[in-house]
Amino acid sequence: MNEAPVIHVQQLQKSYDKVEAVKGIDFQVAQGEVFGLLGPNGAGKTSTIEILEGLRPRTGGEATVLGFDPDRQKQQLKDRIGVCLQATNLPTKIRVQEALELFGSFYTRSLSSEQLLKRLQLWEKRAAFYDTLSGGQKQRLALALALVNDPQLLFLDEPTTGLDPQIRLEIHGLIEEMKSEKRTVVLTTHYIEEAERLCDRVAIIDEGKIVAMGTPRELQQQSKGQSRIDIVTAQPMNAAALPQWPDALESRLAEDGRSLTVYSSRPARTLFEIMKWLDQQGMQLEDVHLKRPTLEDVFVELTGKKLRD
Amino acid sequence: MKQYLAIIVMDIKLALRLRTVIFFNYLFPLFFFFGFATFLGRADRIGGMVYVVTMSITFGVLGSGFFGAGIRAIQERELNILRRYKVTPITPAPLLVGSMVTGWIIFIPYIVLLLMMAHFFYQMPLPAHLFQLLVFISLGLIAFRSLGLVIASVANTMQEGTVLVQLCYFPMILLSGATVPESSFHGVMKTIHNFMPATYLVRGMSNMMLHGQGLLEKGNLVAAGVMLLTIAGGGLISMKLFRWEKEEKIRGRAKLWVLVVLLPFLVMGVWTWLKG
Repeated sequence: MNEAPVIHVQQLQKSYDKVEAVKGIDFQVAQGEVFGLLGPNGAGKTSTIEILEGLRPRTGGEATVLGFDPDRQKQQLKDRIGVCLQATNLPTKIRVQEALELFGSFYTRSLSSEQLLKRLQLWEKRAAFYDTLSGGQKQRLALALALVNDPQLLFLDEPTTGLDPQIRLEIHGLIEEMKSEKRTVVLTTHYIEEAERLCDRVAIIDEGKIVAMGTPRELQQQSKGQSRIDIVTAQPMNAAALPQWPDALESRLAEDGRSLTVYSSRPARTLFEIMKWLDQQGMQLEDVHLKRPTLEDVFVELTGKKLRD
Repeated sequence: MKQYLAIIVMDIKLALRLRTVIFFNYLFPLFFFFGFATFLGRADRIGGMVYVVTMSITFGVLGSGFFGAGIRAIQERELNILRRYKVTPITPAPLLVGSMVTGWIIFIPYIVLLLMMAHFFYQMPLPAHLFQLLVFISLGLIAFRSLGLVIASVANTMQEGTVLVQLCYFPMILLSGATVPESSFHGVMKTIHNFMPATYLVRGMSNMMLHGQGLLEKGNLVAAGVMLLTIAGGGLISMKLFRWEKEEKIRGRAKLWVLVVLLPFLVMGVWTWLKG
């Protein structure tokens, strides 16, 4: 990070009465970076992001966003950032273009509503009332509202939760556009593929603490490095005859004897050996899968939980 | 200023797009107006017609304050609409001022329409100080919208807000002299009547329409002053207790702020009671 970080967080804490939601976390986000906060519901992601947006006061620690203190310089900070909230609504009888113009008037600088509507593919819907929009259109409008002040820093709190896969892909495309425009994006999600596809760096957060942080690839490498090989054969294999494959850490044969799962630190080599062995045994291969460790695997390893718990 | 204007313009557009706003602001009070005017508003009974007009205006003012401002503010919070505003650089002030101004802009044409209909259809003389009457009613309207917004600020849920609104609305309708004439109240009822905030609105309007008084008559001026204090107190308290999100709950003790807004009326009640 050559330039000063856009977000600097040190020992950040947040308590609600006796419940500690954020327990002293540290991270920095650089200019132009897409930074993901990944964790299950109740992990502390939304509390963290809302502190940084100036929506909630922190209980302890330090935080600076675009050089502003989110507790003391709320208005200046809000004028410079864009926020797409997890659960929000607009009046039912507001038209799409009116919403953009209204919200644009709250900022010292704003983009033209026409430009935003075209970009977010809402131009055809500009005169539609909010209550007639589909879920995907409402989410695109939420993103347009987040961009209305042309912010250099965007907070997107679970922007695709509850949307169908097609709309989710569209939203991913929009976030990639923001990334290509060198905007800094902080994204919370519990969708692994979203974090893997969009984020430059990810912090895995659980029970108010960051349990791992790095690029998706670094995190995957931080796992025990086990890839999973799944083999299905036409004939059952004999469990007692299974050899110790090179670099294999664990092998499991299903009860039917036809499905074999092998965990390996060097999957290409192990797979080659398995194929050779199957050939020697005269077995017919029906299916083979090689699965590298995902962020989900890393998460499960680190926390013992599933992301959507 | 840009924010205030944008919110007011949008609030007016939104209000005029909602059938319920048109119904409760115009059609519903007009239905009462025509209903009662038919029975009480004969040409030889000016007092009866003033009573009908006063009742219709009071219905409108209280409805606009408690339901139009109060319940609507709770709805916007419950539906997570205010949450969207919270992430922008605006403060609660433009939203609160916008609610007051919009309510006023929507309501004043109704008052003028009502007075004209009472004059042309039922021969009620136009008030000697029409402009001053409009100023007085405007103060009443904004004061009751302030009260509505304070209720919205202290109610944690829609259910709680509805109970509080009903607790204020019905006694004020029944005991302020708007529906049941002031002359029918005796003893304890008379004392309660003097503590009702709407009493001062009804009394002031009757004085100005029936007796040709101006706003500067002592009784009306005091009533206007009390309403001004309510506007100031209500405005400050709504601002202080304003909540953007339904998850932000207010503590029980903070609800006592409602009493501060009602303080001018409590003082007036005590003063009138002491005077006998």
